[in-house]
Amino acid sequence: MKGIKVLIILISPLIVGWISLFLGAYGITPWMVLKILLNETLHIFDLGDIPEKVIVIDIRLPRVILAGIVGACLSGAGVTLQGIFRNPLVDPFILGISAGAAFGCAITIGFLSSVPIQFMAFIFGITAVVIAYTVARAQGEVSRLPLILSGVIVSAFFTALVSIVKFLVDPHKLQSIVYWLMGSFSLADWKAVKISLLGVIFGLLPIFLMRWRLNVISMGEEETKALGVNVSRDRLLFIGFSTLAVAIATSLCGIIGWVGLMVPHLVRMLTGPDHKTLVPLSFAAGASFMILADTLSRTLTSFDIPVGIITALTGAPFFIYLMKRGGKEAWGK
Amino acid sequence: MLEVKEVYFKHKRQTVDVLKGISFVAEKGLLTTILGPNGSGKSTLFKCISGLWRYYKGEVKVDGVSIDKLSFKKRARLFSVVPQEHEPPFPYSVFDVVLMGRASYVGIFSSPGKRDYEKSEEALNTVGIDHLRNIPYTKISGGERQLVLIARAIAQEAPVMLLDEPTSHLDFKNQINILKKIKEIAKTREITVVMTLHDPNLAGLFSDKVIVINSGNKIAEGKAEEIITEDLIKRVYDIDVKKADIDGKNIIYPVL
Repeated sequence: MKGIKVLIILISPLIVGWISLFLGAYGITPWMVLKILLNETLHIFDLGDIPEKVIVIDIRLPRVILAGIVGACLSGAGVTLQGIFRNPLVDPFILGISAGAAFGCAITIGFLSSVPIQFMAFIFGITAVVIAYTVARAQGEVSRLPLILSGVIVSAFFTALVSIVKFLVDPHKLQSIVYWLMGSFSLADWKAVKISLLGVIFGLLPIFLMRWRLNVISMGEEETKALGVNVSRDRLLFIGFSTLAVAIATSLCGIIGWVGLMVPHLVRMLTGPDHKTLVPLSFAAGASFMILADTLSRTLTSFDIPVGIITALTGAPFFIYLMKRGGKEAWGK
Repeated sequence: MLEVKEVYFKHKRQTVDVLKGISFVAEKGLLTTILGPNGSGKSTLFKCISGLWRYYKGEVKVDGVSIDKLSFKKRARLFSVVPQEHEPPFPYSVFDVVLMGRASYVGIFSSPGKRDYEKSEEALNTVGIDHLRNIPYTKISGGERQLVLIARAIAQEAPVMLLDEPTSHLDFKNQINILKKIKEIAKTREITVVMTLHDPNLAGLFSDKVIVINSGNKIAEGKAEEIITEDLIKRVYDIDVKKADIDGKNIIYPVL
């Protein structure tokens, strides 16, 4: 039973991705999508220059792949942070990483166009999470509520800094900052896909390899040490890798919240809390979720609604549901 | 064998010593119990031995090897620690919790291998909780959780096992069962077991050796029937007790 669920979640990004390719303003049949994909990869039959080909290969496919990778990055960072902070209610957005990374991106767009945007996003993302963690860490262990509160504070601080940037930049750049901050894949192209692969290689891959340690670290600091794990070093590595994944995602498509909170929870409910399976399944489910959310955002209306709005509309009620369900237990200590 | 020599400890930015030169030896295959009132330094001593806290003077040796400068990984192969039963944030299965005992054998970028699974299976069987393997750790009773944590310590394959008040949250039956199990494991697997207890009678019934500490000093060391006396209890706990001999067992009870 568990095996079937695992398999379904693992292949879900391919199915959702394929469905997403034939939905949109320009109607393309599912069969045509398959034909175009086969034509591109295996060169079995020649389709000639048809408009469908350009739409699928140059517009929809990079967008679907980018959404998938960003979804995997955010959800992977979420499951990692929940594990190391022993707190099922955190994700990159709540801990302020997204806001920090957004500030890094905003000043790059506004003033420092010569600096790589991903670099600044990473620097300020990691600054944000380190501040949030240090503030919450009173003595030894970090308890749940203080960590969320300090995340909220850090988020608010960096959001204010972003506002200062918005206030100071010239109106032309302001427009692009504002639109990008809402979180959207409408500017996706193959170049963005290539950059996002950095997040997979330097963020998700090491997290995947280290995933079993999340089980151990989630048992608490003293216990982890007694079990023979250098918890300070490993925690720092996990924070670094997940911040890198989030920084790259944020630099490509703005702030998309709640994915990292919701997806790991849903996967945990379906296939259990063991990080050996939970981590890869969170990558896959995050990818599917994001492709689905993005497909909705571009097909629901004739506009391209920013996908961050869709995830927030589902995420906030989900958070409330978790709080209600967990009651006192969810808040811990 | 565990040797603790003249261990001194004090908290950061404080002048008062919490441990004032404690020494003792715990032998292989035997159960050594540290007995003492709340605040006597029992838990501090435990944290110093297992390397979580740094003592500023003294030495701790396992089979002749000093542990002072060892990494967490190497130390975990010498000591397994059984904490008091607790609630982890996620409902891991019993088997997943036992498998965590193998952390010091698993490389940073890898997951447990075949051998780690075998050792964990073996530990489950040794403790006799194979039937619980797929049940979430959060759904079992306090006594069962303590057994799971003991199985995890066995999977760790360390020559010394430290148990911090293994009976503190358990009912009477479970207290007896756990202590019987611990004694049996110490003997059959030839592990040096050191634990802390609150109850002098339980300490007397199950331990091969008792060490009594109070305000950071060792007060007595030896066989329970010899050292646990009316006078010692009066000195350490400040209550009046009587000692009785029932079927060759020494039992102390409070004078009401």
